[in-house]
Amino acid sequence: MQRNNLAINDYFKKRPHIKYIAPAMITLFVLSIVPTIFLVAVSFTNYHLGWDLSRAKFVAFDNYLRLFSGRDPDFWHAVYISLKFMTIATIIQMILGFSIAILLNEKEFKLKPLVVGILIIPLAMTPTIAGQMWKLMFNAEYGLINYILGGLFGMKIAWLSADMAFWSIMIVDIWQFTPFVALILYSGLRSMPDEPYESAMIDGAGKVRSFFFITVPMMRSLILLALLMRAVDSLKLFDTAFVLTQGGPGNATEFLSLHVYRMVNAQNGLIGRGAAVAMVLLVIVTVVSNILIRLQRKETSK
Amino acid sequence: MRRKHSIAQNLLFGISYVIICLFTLLPFLWMISVSFRNKADVFDPGKVFSSFTSINYETIMNEGIMNLFLNSAIIAVVSTLISLVLGTLAAYGFARYNWPKRESRAFWVLSQRFLPAMAVIIPYFMLAALFRLLDTHLLLIICYTSFNIPFTIWMMRGFIEDLPIELEEAASVDGCTRMQALKKIILPLILPGMVATAIFCIINAWNEFVFANFLTTIRAKTIPTSVMTYLSVSGVKWGEMAATGTLAVIPVLVFAISVQKHMIRGLTLGSVKG
Repeated sequence: MQRNNLAINDYFKKRPHIKYIAPAMITLFVLSIVPTIFLVAVSFTNYHLGWDLSRAKFVAFDNYLRLFSGRDPDFWHAVYISLKFMTIATIIQMILGFSIAILLNEKEFKLKPLVVGILIIPLAMTPTIAGQMWKLMFNAEYGLINYILGGLFGMKIAWLSADMAFWSIMIVDIWQFTPFVALILYSGLRSMPDEPYESAMIDGAGKVRSFFFITVPMMRSLILLALLMRAVDSLKLFDTAFVLTQGGPGNATEFLSLHVYRMVNAQNGLIGRGAAVAMVLLVIVTVVSNILIRLQRKETSK
Repeated sequence: MRRKHSIAQNLLFGISYVIICLFTLLPFLWMISVSFRNKADVFDPGKVFSSFTSINYETIMNEGIMNLFLNSAIIAVVSTLISLVLGTLAAYGFARYNWPKRESRAFWVLSQRFLPAMAVIIPYFMLAALFRLLDTHLLLIICYTSFNIPFTIWMMRGFIEDLPIELEEAASVDGCTRMQALKKIILPLILPGMVATAIFCIINAWNEFVFANFLTTIRAKTIPTSVMTYLSVSGVKWGEMAATGTLAVIPVLVFAISVQKHMIRGLTLGSVKG
């Protein structure tokens, strides 16, 4: 016993950080690993909402085979539009956000704090309620947007139709998160030193050239960070799409997370199959975030 | 390196700013405007300021919206306090000790922040049902702690690393243990950072939807899930919804303004010293 205690004391003496990080790490571990293991287990069963756990049968890889063999075409559609949404939304938000950041950095003026304050508003609004407000504005007959478009150009767009719903959600996502990118990159631009630009000007480099050869390389770490957060968050998008379209019309906007929802909601209750889709979502998000985190780490440690 | 701009350029700047601000503000202003309208006027975009009524606010007050606000507040505050205690302690370990796997561990923590809620909602729901925790404050507190701890660790690590290590070295010369030094010297210095971190945690929890919607039904419902109750058979109650949204955004904006100094740090999970 005495010896054991000594060994334990010795262990902690060699690793003094353990006693600080252990409470949080154990909590996180329990809150993430336990549910994940449970999710994997459920995805191998035919469990149905409302059943006793004992009624669930082990079905091995059936749920996964159904997804990947094409017997569930909605699944591939969900994967496709999720990745498409992630790519387009992230690119547009990065470009627009960077443009706004440059615009803010270009000039000092009195009302600038007001503009920054306005940019914070989309991040502060409750996303579900903001989504509903967009839904009201997107209304084809009585919506504000068609009212404005009708007044200006005499046109009317069916925003939430099968063709347009994807892009309407995109507009909401751009509205919500472009300010986020803009604020982050603006803070980076503000902390840039003047010297490299001055010497670039002496060398005769124009604004565009110095942007691509000085600004972008010096801010690479920050750009990657914004990219990471936007890519992952748009990949797991749920709340605004849920209130705007619930995945519809048809399956036009049924992103992966909404596909999970359709499987497991009270009407269908296919928990086992939904768990398999959720596993795919988890794997894709983990892969994308790990690639980007690794890139960002490499950049920061340089 | 700022040059002088011509009038045409200034005009261009002005127009760009007006467009950006209008697009950004549009849903916000529309929400406020709808919240003060009669049911009939909601569908008449032309009447921006014509009919002014506070009926929507009176209705939601009578229907007990304050209970939801109270639930949101309790859940956000308790989960924030737990995250702050566990997270700050861990942040100290990450900031002040070096061990071979430190950065891997730190990035594992970060990856927990990216866990998709819709993926883990199934096991959370089933486990909660098993432990009879569905529709309780405790369950949502646990859920929100799972994403607030990673955030707190990354935020507080930055704040602690800003302090010179000599502070603790001096304390240990005076005979303090590391834990005492943390309590007596570091804690008072990082208190402003902790307040900022807490406010970000509260905002995150305040606006969270997935866990709240699928794990609660009546007793522990929070503000973001209220939209589901406004989708009634007789049509969407836009006015009530807008009024709820307006009330919900006020505390967030007040909080956001109070932590403006740390805004960038909060948005980037503590990795940028804004």
